[in-house]
Amino acid sequence: MVTAAERVSSHKWGMAVDVDRCTGCQACVMACQTENNIPLSTEDIYRQKRTFAWIRIERYWYGDFPNVKARFIPIMCQHCENAPCEPVCPVFATYHNTEGMNVQIYNRCVGTRYCGAGCPYNVRFFNYWEPVWPSTLRNQLNPDVTIRSRGIMEKCSFCVQRIRRGVREAAQEDRDLVDGEIQTACTDACPTNALVFGDFNDDNSRVSIMSHDDRKYTHLDSLNTEPNVVYLAQIDATGGAIGEHE
Amino acid sequence: MASGEKTLNEQPQTDNGRPAWVKVLIPVLALGGVGVTAVLGFVMVFFITAWFGNPLPVLGFDQSPVQPIAFPHTAHAGSELLFNDDGSAKMDAEGKQLTGIGLDCTFCHRTVTDTNVAGIPPVETCVTCHRVIGSTQSEPLTLLRTIGLGDDPGPIQWKRVHRLPDHVRFVHEPHIRFLTDVGNTHVIANRDEAAILAGTQSDGSVLAAVTCSTCHGDIKSQTQVAQVEPLKMGQCVDCHRKNDAPTDCTTCHF
Repeated sequence: MVTAAERVSSHKWGMAVDVDRCTGCQACVMACQTENNIPLSTEDIYRQKRTFAWIRIERYWYGDFPNVKARFIPIMCQHCENAPCEPVCPVFATYHNTEGMNVQIYNRCVGTRYCGAGCPYNVRFFNYWEPVWPSTLRNQLNPDVTIRSRGIMEKCSFCVQRIRRGVREAAQEDRDLVDGEIQTACTDACPTNALVFGDFNDDNSRVSIMSHDDRKYTHLDSLNTEPNVVYLAQIDATGGAIGEHE
Repeated sequence: MASGEKTLNEQPQTDNGRPAWVKVLIPVLALGGVGVTAVLGFVMVFFITAWFGNPLPVLGFDQSPVQPIAFPHTAHAGSELLFNDDGSAKMDAEGKQLTGIGLDCTFCHRTVTDTNVAGIPPVETCVTCHRVIGSTQSEPLTLLRTIGLGDDPGPIQWKRVHRLPDHVRFVHEPHIRFLTDVGNTHVIANRDEAAILAGTQSDGSVLAAVTCSTCHGDIKSQTQVAQVEPLKMGQCVDCHRKNDAPTDCTTCHF
């Protein structure tokens, strides 16, 4: 008999990003924005350098002129196993849960911003102001996600609301989860399937297979953060892998 | 006699040599002190009780708002004899005392076994039955009976009784599923197993109505619904721990 707690914690959620497939279309950014009630990054916010983007596309140029090409890397919270943001939180608002996710508990957060300072990936965002949406967007907000008020740190949650719903629906129908059944907003939106979400505990899941690829690398490996987001390096026209060194 | 006039002009002296206005002020201050202490004590008791459970039922904190229509759960969900407000027995047209009809909660709160929210039934659900049944004396029931398709009075503005904070994501479905599954060897907070098993159906499942009262109290005996349980996080976590349910923060907070 599997208890409800065991059913939830038997997973180790993670993501694989095939950089070779990413076209930099920003569909994931928009999907994340709408799914997770992320405050609007208006011009005013942008000028203060306080834009919110739980997932962002970083653009790099490579090659010599005139054969310059752009390379895009989607960066979101890496959900590090060895996260620098976690030990610095004085109130345990961010911690590593049993599903391999680095989670942020909004109602515990007191806004010290230590985690934001500790994060080497710059994927944590602080609500300096109460978020406001134009009246036309009020009905667009996702009722499954808390609206973070002023003074609270936020970051990519691996769309935990979708994970909860997926696990619940599988339990309701009394069956095991199928790989690919749970999709985060960004993987759902990605037109080239560059982003793949799944369970690392399942050896046959797409993320597990991709994480054993020769092209696999993780960001800022030297910091030993052990991210749960793995990247597959881009292949250039000559067949060599690029991007492992940045 | 000059000295006598002089004493009249002087301030009246008390035995202790204090002026009379001081003598008046002392009990005033004392009473004021007692009053302030009483108010402070009340405020403290209010906040302490509110912290550990439901706040004192004063100042509108009685957890039982007056609804726009006096909907009696006793008549719908209960199966006991019905009484009027003045204590007299409620009779039908033939002079028989009425009893509640004992509907299951899911008869009206239909989405509770499938989704997040129990759901308030639309007026349509009321009309389904009240087209033909119900007292002719009752004003809302008369309205339901005579209402036409053209004249839409709009939804009933029910007052919400059970409300969780915005940072809590409570889903009814898994709780109902868990509590109605008698195969589980579970320990349910605030309730004994026998009461659950008393509501067991022939197919082994348990009526949702029996499980709802775990958190909602005995709704079927309430004419005006009140929040009985404090519904604080401690209560949730207690029950989750006893039943091996997940206690990770992101179970409810995300």
